[in-house]
Amino acid sequence: MKLISVLRYQKPSSTVDSDRHEMEKVTVTMRRRSFMKNAGLLLTGTGTFLKNPSEAQASPKKGQRILITSGESNLAQIIATYLSQDHQVTLTGLTQNQNKFPYIVSELDHSESTNKLVQGIDTVIHVAQASSSADEFEHLDHQTRKTYNLLRAAATGNVQRFIFLSSLELMTNYNEDYLVSERWRPLPTTDPALLGKYLGEFTCREFAREEEFQVIILRLGKIINATAVKGKKTDPLWVEEQEVAQAVSGALSVKPYPRFHAQGVNRWRIFHIQSEFPGARFSVGAAKGGLGYRPWFKPE
Amino acid sequence: MKVLIIGAHGYLGPHVVKALEGHHEMLLTDIKPPKEKLSHPFEILDVSSIEQVQQASKGKDAIINLSVLRGHRRIAFDVNTLGCYNIMRVAAEEGIRRVINTGPHFTITGPLYEGFDHAITPDVPPHPSTILYALTKSLGQEICRIFSEHHDIYVLDYLFYNFRDPATAKKGSRGVPFIVSWADAGEAFRLGLDIDLDKLPSRCEAFFISGDMPQGKFLNEKAKRILGFKPKDNLEYLWHRTQSLTK
Repeated sequence: MKLISVLRYQKPSSTVDSDRHEMEKVTVTMRRRSFMKNAGLLLTGTGTFLKNPSEAQASPKKGQRILITSGESNLAQIIATYLSQDHQVTLTGLTQNQNKFPYIVSELDHSESTNKLVQGIDTVIHVAQASSSADEFEHLDHQTRKTYNLLRAAATGNVQRFIFLSSLELMTNYNEDYLVSERWRPLPTTDPALLGKYLGEFTCREFAREEEFQVIILRLGKIINATAVKGKKTDPLWVEEQEVAQAVSGALSVKPYPRFHAQGVNRWRIFHIQSEFPGARFSVGAAKGGLGYRPWFKPE
Repeated sequence: MKVLIIGAHGYLGPHVVKALEGHHEMLLTDIKPPKEKLSHPFEILDVSSIEQVQQASKGKDAIINLSVLRGHRRIAFDVNTLGCYNIMRVAAEEGIRRVINTGPHFTITGPLYEGFDHAITPDVPPHPSTILYALTKSLGQEICRIFSEHHDIYVLDYLFYNFRDPATAKKGSRGVPFIVSWADAGEAFRLGLDIDLDKLPSRCEAFFISGDMPQGKFLNEKAKRILGFKPKDNLEYLWHRTQSLTK
């Protein structure tokens, strides 16, 4: 269930116009109830709304043309396999790769070839994973310049949605006792891989402010395969790879915030994605409500 | 203080060197060789090469980064973003505690601030926009900030918009509402090298380096309050009437 906090009505300190204020309070509350109902939200109590579960579980819009980057990576291929049941998937990678999906080699440079990559694409899934042999500069370049080039190409094409796969490790520098949510400030370190993910999010956010397409950030935990980790010590950040694919699938149909926000905010969404088990580090409540995310993996 | 200046041959570099002369020992560097004989040591340096930054930084107390690349997408990221990473990584390695980084005003306050607001200060969340120059500089500044949070390095981020030479600027010629004379801009660097680091509110502080402007659009109050910046050149005459608006 997605919990959305809203500002509570503050009774004015002055009582001179208390009747008028009380009338305004009632009117605002009625408008808000009507609005929330139209937006698929149920009013459940003072200051708290629950997302209508039936909407949250709606199946993704089918038949989209999807471009997935870092096509050489295991994660990109897992996502492609999951999405190919309902969508037309193309992979792109920096190097040649044997692949069962249509595959285009691209350096994601500032060139016409990057613009062509996104032609006719509805959704870009930017896995943004540098190769395992990448040095610190390649990590940073991948998350900043290549991401910028892809976003710029998406902005000139007809892309409707840009999904950027980031890292939950941006949030692990908070005290573990805190209930950290998507609204908290990321705390990157100077490790180039993590710093790069932060800078990638930063780049995406500027495009969300200015451009017409929706930008969704999925901050992923540590990706594992359920079979491969049997018998291993549980990490509180684990997320099963099929859960990641399911979250990405849910992001294909995420709706913008209702229009009580400015339009740029409307286009910008962040979700934390990890498995849900006792001892898990972060809540996935927002993803469950907003993406229909249904984690299933429980470490032994 | 031994100071490394990167990008010393740009528009601003010579004015910074002039302001620091007699106060600090400088190593001037740039990607281009000097056009005339210099009175300070000089080395060719590409800020996107960490080896070159490492070499030039040895034994220095402070780094001033004046490097900039505006138009070319690959080089803009290499210079404006990765260049900051190289400088901060080397500063951390070499124990250099003072870095003065520079950039345009929209490193932090992009068109959405300038278009809508007044009394704009540098202490706001960065909204650089997707303009290549602004965004790459803003990413560089974020790198500086994050390094300063994890290492004992103080970063002073000097933001500029436009410059004028009072000797040639004409009354009524107007301009953007954020202009500083070259000489005053240079003086800000002397102040940034002199300030006691413990007097800075945090290890990463941004400043608008501007003359006193009549519009109230961007405020230089923070630079005055913390750095002791006192612009000597009054540029208000750029907006003085030269003739009646009605005939």
